[in-house]
Amino acid sequence: MADLTTAADAGPPRAAADRRFATTLIRAGSALLGLVAFAVLVGPLLVRWGPEEIDPAASLAPPGGAHPLGTDVNGMDILSRVLHAGRLDLGVAIASVALAVVLGTALGLLAGYRGGRVDDVLMRVLDVFQAFPAFILALAVAALLGGGAGNLVLVVALVNAPAYARLVRAEVRTVRELPFVEASRTAGASGLGTLWRHVLPNSLTPVRVIAPLNCGWAMLTLAGLSFLGLGVTVPAAEWGAMISLGTGDVVAGRWWTSVPPGLFLLVSVLGFSLLGEGLQERAGVVR
Amino acid sequence: MRIARFAARRLLQAVPVLLGVIVVTFVLVRVLPGDPIRTILGPNATEADAAAARARYGLDQPLWRQFLDYVGGLFSGDLGTSIQSGASVASEMAVRVGPTMELVVLAVVIATLLATVLGIWSARRAGRAGDHTLRVLALVGNSLPEFWLGLVLILLAYSVLGWVPAPSGRVDPDTDLTLITGADLLDAALTGNGPAFASAAGHLVLPVLTMVVVIVAPLLRSVRASALEVLGSEAYQAAAAHGLSERTLLRGYLTRAALVRLPALAALVFGFAIGSTVLVEYVFSWQGFGQWALRGLLYRDYPVVQASVVVIALCYTLIFLIADVVHAVLDPRVRI
Repeated sequence: MADLTTAADAGPPRAAADRRFATTLIRAGSALLGLVAFAVLVGPLLVRWGPEEIDPAASLAPPGGAHPLGTDVNGMDILSRVLHAGRLDLGVAIASVALAVVLGTALGLLAGYRGGRVDDVLMRVLDVFQAFPAFILALAVAALLGGGAGNLVLVVALVNAPAYARLVRAEVRTVRELPFVEASRTAGASGLGTLWRHVLPNSLTPVRVIAPLNCGWAMLTLAGLSFLGLGVTVPAAEWGAMISLGTGDVVAGRWWTSVPPGLFLLVSVLGFSLLGEGLQERAGVVR
Repeated sequence: MRIARFAARRLLQAVPVLLGVIVVTFVLVRVLPGDPIRTILGPNATEADAAAARARYGLDQPLWRQFLDYVGGLFSGDLGTSIQSGASVASEMAVRVGPTMELVVLAVVIATLLATVLGIWSARRAGRAGDHTLRVLALVGNSLPEFWLGLVLILLAYSVLGWVPAPSGRVDPDTDLTLITGADLLDAALTGNGPAFASAAGHLVLPVLTMVVVIVAPLLRSVRASALEVLGSEAYQAAAAHGLSERTLLRGYLTRAALVRLPALAALVFGFAIGSTVLVEYVFSWQGFGQWALRGLLYRDYPVVQASVVVIALCYTLIFLIADVVHAVLDPRVRI
């Protein structure tokens, strides 16, 4: 086989190049996220206007002068709002993914470890939830529950949890048959102890890889819901809601009300995507 | 024959899921807060008016009764009457499905073709600059919020350059297009209406482009990964070592094998596109299924919510079923 290998084929040289590329992706993603985190944590301390403060003298003022990125139709400062909004968007996205991981992992552990009837029932319930495109499910639940940051965390977590439950369940079913789990049980450890100490830590690899990608998706969902008026609403500062408010301005050629929040959203999501892609490449996960 | 039996088995598996969807939707819209009657009555209505309206839509009946009526209607093709408009839900939906399918199908087909060509190109240059650039670009596309990308495209192509028509509606009304399917491009082609075809195509460019950019990345990644697997396989290397022409290698060995995993993913992307279309339709005032379902949700229009959710779940489940069957045709191992 070795003599058939050419430069274009899979082989050690490319594996090294892949690892380097994965590292580059992880670094680039982390750098973008760091940049956004710094901007939204420190930025609000430096701006002159509050996020919901109205400048009565300026409605839809173009960038420049007292308002570096201009103002929206309400006379609120775009720069200040974009920076403040980041705290909400990043916070809600990360909180919802954390909640989804906890919820999904618990369900996946239960289904995978117990098997039998419990597993069957849980999986059929998840089937029903996964019979919808994710965004449609989020939309329906958000519309029925009502908006607000707290509800959005819940909505995005509920929509994502089934996927984690499936991932963890599949891992648990493999791990529970491994010798060290049997050894733990033979040594007299309780079922819960074995689960916590040995099964859980060895079943989380795919979760760690998927979670960053999922944060990006959570941000897009959150902003999308707010864009449709189902999430956080103006005057609260949120990127999707700001873009929504600027929709009418675009046709009139006013770019500054909707372009800056979208750019911030893009850079944050891209950061998560690069990080997730790099982690996947490194772990050799093929989706 | 084998394939037919495989399809039938998959179809049977989908039945309990769909029944679950019907029950869950029915219960959720009624249990969660919000009252469809109050939204149509206005602020001055009395309690008696509300009770009368409730009786008109059968909402005064016990839940089990409403459920039986609803399921009975489903089996006879009656999706109920919209509380907001008073019109038949089935006929309202029929007008809305065409425009949305036109958008989603065009976007998914273009994205799949693009992903196949670019994915194989990328795999053959794996690890080199072109491959890396393409993958990063796809990630950027996948990270774009579709509603914002739509707005930026409108800003550039309409407001600044004036290349496309204004983002409202799907076709210029002056072209007198006769509606058949509701998909304007198709209808214009069927009726041989040249000006309407041009106008519909002009209106489609930006929304379709928006969706293609957002959905192409996962497809591209899948084709590339499968193609890499084939390139590293002994069968391919042996074929290459025997000096088969580039063309034969590409057509006979690489393309089919690289597409094996694509159907399931295309189904997933199709679902993603259905979700996306709600946002894209909103940006471009498309007046399709997504906007109709969204309005139903906002006003708690029970029959509209139930019908749209069940139809989406049905489409989504069927698409996955078709994908599995196509997968079975491409890859005989699945059928066992």
